[in-house]
Amino acid sequence: MLNVSLPPKPSNPAAGDNEQPCPAKLAVRNLNFFYGKFQAIKNINVEIRPNTVTAFIGPSGCGKSTLLRVFNRIYDMYPGQRAEGEVLLDGENILDPSSFPKLRAKVGMVFQKPTPFPMSIYENIAFGIRLYEKLNRSEMDDRVRHALIGAGLWHEVEGKLNQSALRLSGGQQQRLCIARALAIQPEILLLDEPCSALDPISTAKIEELMYRSKEDCTLIIVTHNMQQAARASEFTAFMLSGELIEVSETTQIFTNPSDKRTEDYITGRFG
Amino acid sequence: MSSLDTAARIDKGSAPIKPKAGERIWRLTGDSLFHTAARFAAFLAVAVLFATVIAVAVDSWPAIKTFGVWSFLKSSQWDPVTNAFGAFPFIIGTLVSSAIAMVLAVPISFGTALFIAEIAPSWIKRPIAGAVELLAAIPSIVYGLWGLVVFAPAFAQIEPGINSTLGAIPGVGLLFQGPPMGIGMLSAGIILAIMILPYISSVMRDVFMAVPWSLRESAYAMGCTTWEVAWHIMLPYTRSAVIGGIFLGLGRALGETMAVTFVIGNSNVLSASLLMPGATIPSVLANEFTEATSKLYLSSLIYLGLILIGVTLAVRLLAVLLLRRLASREGAST
Repeated sequence: MLNVSLPPKPSNPAAGDNEQPCPAKLAVRNLNFFYGKFQAIKNINVEIRPNTVTAFIGPSGCGKSTLLRVFNRIYDMYPGQRAEGEVLLDGENILDPSSFPKLRAKVGMVFQKPTPFPMSIYENIAFGIRLYEKLNRSEMDDRVRHALIGAGLWHEVEGKLNQSALRLSGGQQQRLCIARALAIQPEILLLDEPCSALDPISTAKIEELMYRSKEDCTLIIVTHNMQQAARASEFTAFMLSGELIEVSETTQIFTNPSDKRTEDYITGRFG
Repeated sequence: MSSLDTAARIDKGSAPIKPKAGERIWRLTGDSLFHTAARFAAFLAVAVLFATVIAVAVDSWPAIKTFGVWSFLKSSQWDPVTNAFGAFPFIIGTLVSSAIAMVLAVPISFGTALFIAEIAPSWIKRPIAGAVELLAAIPSIVYGLWGLVVFAPAFAQIEPGINSTLGAIPGVGLLFQGPPMGIGMLSAGIILAIMILPYISSVMRDVFMAVPWSLRESAYAMGCTTWEVAWHIMLPYTRSAVIGGIFLGLGRALGETMAVTFVIGNSNVLSASLLMPGATIPSVLANEFTEATSKLYLSSLIYLGLILIGVTLAVRLLAVLLLRRLASREGAST
């Protein structure tokens, strides 16, 4: 079993040499995950730095989406799925039942297919905010506008906030979903192949949005698209058959991977 | 001509294998035969509908001629001895008993459907869904017997309690006055509610289960509770089908005959209280059809039937208008 940890700090060109080692935003320790009897994740250890974009890549069925689904416990919806180990969010184990009530406000999620709620564009954003905050009308208007500006969607929807969100294009819908998740001001945003159903222009807009969102939160993206991982992330983790093979800075993974299997995958020799 | 189109398409699809000439001709004839048969079936259904309405209208003509439309609708008299007939108590009875049924059945159906679709562990889903659907398999005459023999005496026991609680509220209390007989408008409404519950809840259950998992997950991922997901996401998403299911149930309630006849008390006198006996259009038809001795009496009963068709069509229309308004509101810009 291979336990991989983040590379030592000095190898990060963005950070100064004398800086204190940055505590992990999210630390996964000895995580195992089961769908009934099938073990989908095998003893994973990884640390995610705050205000970065970390990409998880790997062939289909390697467990990367499953891992993402552990981070906000969405798997809880389904009987027979369980996680063992620790996932520490700022040191607090999110697998503890006691941390659940606040978890989903802290960890937002965006899915592969755009999932606009069956309500107006405005309400799509306001709905999530209302779950956690009580705002008056003008405060809410402000928050909604901010969220839409942040997602680069404001100019496209300004005049039709009361229109059904289902009428937007696929790319707009996905940006609305990201705006909706960010409007709650989460600490971590999980993105599960957010661009796989989108055209290249929409994809570029979403990558740009991810880049900008880094200031306020930590992003974790699962992607099939290696170019996307290379473009949009600072750290990349490679998974295979439920195991974490390698995690490193993105540039290093793509130029000089330390594991043969990683190299085989990125060079397209399998997967 | 359209059969030729179809044949051409079939031809293109199976280009590599060249059919024999005889086969092709048979296919063409078969196809045009099918077109004719389908068209015939469709027109037959429409023709039956119109024929029924016309036959009912023709048979009720003597009553229409005697009482007119408006005065028949608003008259509360129903007296075979003096040959004076009016539909008002029965129209109100039909609407009120169905309204009671809807008020009771819609929330319960929603809860049942939501439990089966979203909350129940999988091992219990099927038995519960099956049991609810079995309610629809019970013949209405059995509901009527059960209502009269079992439900009504039991309900009579709790009616004094209703009298002294709900009946004590000023205003609304008028609806809950009267002797504890166990039969009456409220009993009919409750029985109707049980009868239409499987229809409404199975439609709701099916459409709730068809809500995409990704949509539910993204709502749960924001921290929604099950109720919030059901109320704010699933219900709006399935709105038109849910409304369709509700109106399906309403249609059945409006036309239900046997069970209502057993428990409603069959009084031709309109009463303000829901605990008092009343009558619906179907129940008065079932009760009095065999006793209708005079021509005008029989014609008045058939006239009632015509009105029931009108009420049902009006309810249909209402459903269509409601759905259209919802659809246009969804698309409205600012």
